[in-house]
Amino acid sequence: MARKDIKRQEVIVTGFGGQGIVLAGRILGMAAALGDHRESTLVQSYGPESRGGACCAQVIISDAVIQYPYIEAPDILICMSQSAYEKYRTALKPSGRLLTDKDLVAPGGDRPEVFSIPATRMAEELGRKMMANIIMMGFATAVTGVVSLDAMKTAVTASVPKGTEEMNLAAFVKGFDYGASTLKGREKKKSGTAGRIGAVR
Amino acid sequence: MSDYKIILYLCNWAPHTAYHNLQDNGYQIPPEIKMVRVSCTGRITKALLLKAFEMGADGVALVGCGPGTCRYGTGTLNAVNNTEDTERILELAGIGGRRLRFATFLPDDTEPLRRFLAEFTADIKTMGKSPVVPMGKVPAETTEDPTSLADILKKHDAYACQDCGKCTSACPLALSGKPYSPRALVGAIAAAPPLSEAVIRDVWACLTCGLCHERCPSDVDFPEFIRDVRSWIHARQGDENQAHGGFFQSLMRTMTSPEISPGRWKDRPADLIADPEGKTLFFGGCAPYFDIFFRNHAGLDTSRTLFDAVRLLNFFDVHPRLLETERCCGHDLLWSGDRQNFLKLARLNTEMMNDLGIETLITACPECYRTLSLDYPRHGVKPAFTVMHLYEFLEREIDKGAVTFAPLEHRITYQDACRLNRLSGVGALPRKLIHRLMPTRFTEMKDSGAASICCGNCAWTGCDAYSKAFQVRRIRQAAATGSDLMVTSCPKCQIHLRCAMEDPFLGRELMMETADLTSVIARTIRWE
Repeated sequence: MARKDIKRQEVIVTGFGGQGIVLAGRILGMAAALGDHRESTLVQSYGPESRGGACCAQVIISDAVIQYPYIEAPDILICMSQSAYEKYRTALKPSGRLLTDKDLVAPGGDRPEVFSIPATRMAEELGRKMMANIIMMGFATAVTGVVSLDAMKTAVTASVPKGTEEMNLAAFVKGFDYGASTLKGREKKKSGTAGRIGAVR
Repeated sequence: MSDYKIILYLCNWAPHTAYHNLQDNGYQIPPEIKMVRVSCTGRITKALLLKAFEMGADGVALVGCGPGTCRYGTGTLNAVNNTEDTERILELAGIGGRRLRFATFLPDDTEPLRRFLAEFTADIKTMGKSPVVPMGKVPAETTEDPTSLADILKKHDAYACQDCGKCTSACPLALSGKPYSPRALVGAIAAAPPLSEAVIRDVWACLTCGLCHERCPSDVDFPEFIRDVRSWIHARQGDENQAHGGFFQSLMRTMTSPEISPGRWKDRPADLIADPEGKTLFFGGCAPYFDIFFRNHAGLDTSRTLFDAVRLLNFFDVHPRLLETERCCGHDLLWSGDRQNFLKLARLNTEMMNDLGIETLITACPECYRTLSLDYPRHGVKPAFTVMHLYEFLEREIDKGAVTFAPLEHRITYQDACRLNRLSGVGALPRKLIHRLMPTRFTEMKDSGAASICCGNCAWTGCDAYSKAFQVRRIRQAAATGSDLMVTSCPKCQIHLRCAMEDPFLGRELMMETADLTSVIARTIRWE
């Protein structure tokens, strides 16, 4: 059991095989370890299920040494497919945050705190569907703050194929902006000012 | 000898008799008062009232007959309205509304007239000299224009004209039946200086909408060419082709005085959040002046665009600085040939904003946008800030996501502003925003985008029956889309098209709701 004063967050990134789930997890872990100088572990599910089935990357980020890398109940669950969501949704801590691809996952009505982004659609609009994972990482960075923006940018640049850095960074920023915007929107809604202008004739 | 100047426009009928009686009785009219006898106060337009200030008056009094006694019926009423409007504009522009006064007297009112003259003179002296620096005639050699028409022709490569006629076949003025041809105009200017009266008339008739340039295979930049020719003519013989009696040109010229301190935003709605120390400035433009001047046009409220623009900035947590001392950007001076005063305004604006450390200037006006971002640097005035159109800001912020739009219960069409569309090359941007909205339907007009027809006037010049004819044509194009709301992006498009809609001969046929895109966005935007 983790000690209360040690900041530790457990993240599961999950979706179809081929969506770049493992790469996304690796970028997250790399950013935490290399950029933010914290501890991180990555467990990736490999095997037949990753060929089009549910694929999963388990990332732990902590200020202290991580003794055991597997995750039972994540603080953050990032789902990029409906089947992955069905498989992992019950594992998410009650206080945990769920992040989904808006067009690919339809979460049940029991979770009010869902953060979703049309990452795949946005990637398609940017010209490359395969960048959905990077957009999702940008979104996760803004919404969860589990890693720093600078560390993530460096990790993205270091992890994507040569020559595509700029394009991926743009995708990352797009996801980040969407996340920041989502948070701002929620804040406005809470304070009752969302759509305030519309009320003014 | 007092150096105060008070212009007294005195009606030839009742008050003139009272004035005469005063003189007959040996009363010395205060030497500051210069009396101009007029046939009726109703004939003194807002332009004439303002012109007096432009030429150095410290105060202007319009004195007519008592209510109900006007020989012409509505003269007194017109005078009351004109004085009221001009007072408000003088106040807004920082010249001082109290410098203008209206009063009425009957022939026997000798004593009240004496008191009025004495009190008004004393009031003006208490207020001090007018902050407006009077304009002298500008000698040609002091302007920074190209020195000869040949230079202007060369500068714009107008000799490359192939006489193909594509410009004329596209020109909305020519197509509305006016005997007017861009290529013939270039030819005439190239062939035979000094310019004939007909050529000069056509130079001022051009709407500089840029459609001819769009079509020209030789890339002759007609609007810029015309602008330079206007400037050349203006420096030599002035310009008598201004609409509305030259009111707006006068207003802009008064704003070139460094001493005036306008109260530009003091009537803004309480819900707008501004940051008086901010580095991001919202530059409003002249809409509030237009609204006062054209207040008799039903429902004209172009200031609302500015307020909605600030609301949109607030929506995205930007609290812009709003400058009380904001002056006109000078667009209309530049395009109506008064380059010298344009430069004065440009320098005043830029120095002021540079001194305040403004980093980004956002505007919702196509003319301010084009002028501040393109024409200032081209005329050697270098702003130290970035100029951004509100649509760029909105597109950037909305694109970040988490923002949605409430359904808009209208079938809409869009009227392009030529300053934004052809003359700044950002016609695609408003369309991008429109496609984000959720109207019942969006339909482009027959002539749209690069081929769109302008609102019929530019820089308060060139208003005539022909421009009215093609405004009507434009509104019919809008109606033909089956839309019930015409979305515009320039206050002047609203003014001119709504003016055409009020054509008494066509009745309600042309009536159509109009709204600025900024307001349409503000009305429907929501956080997701």
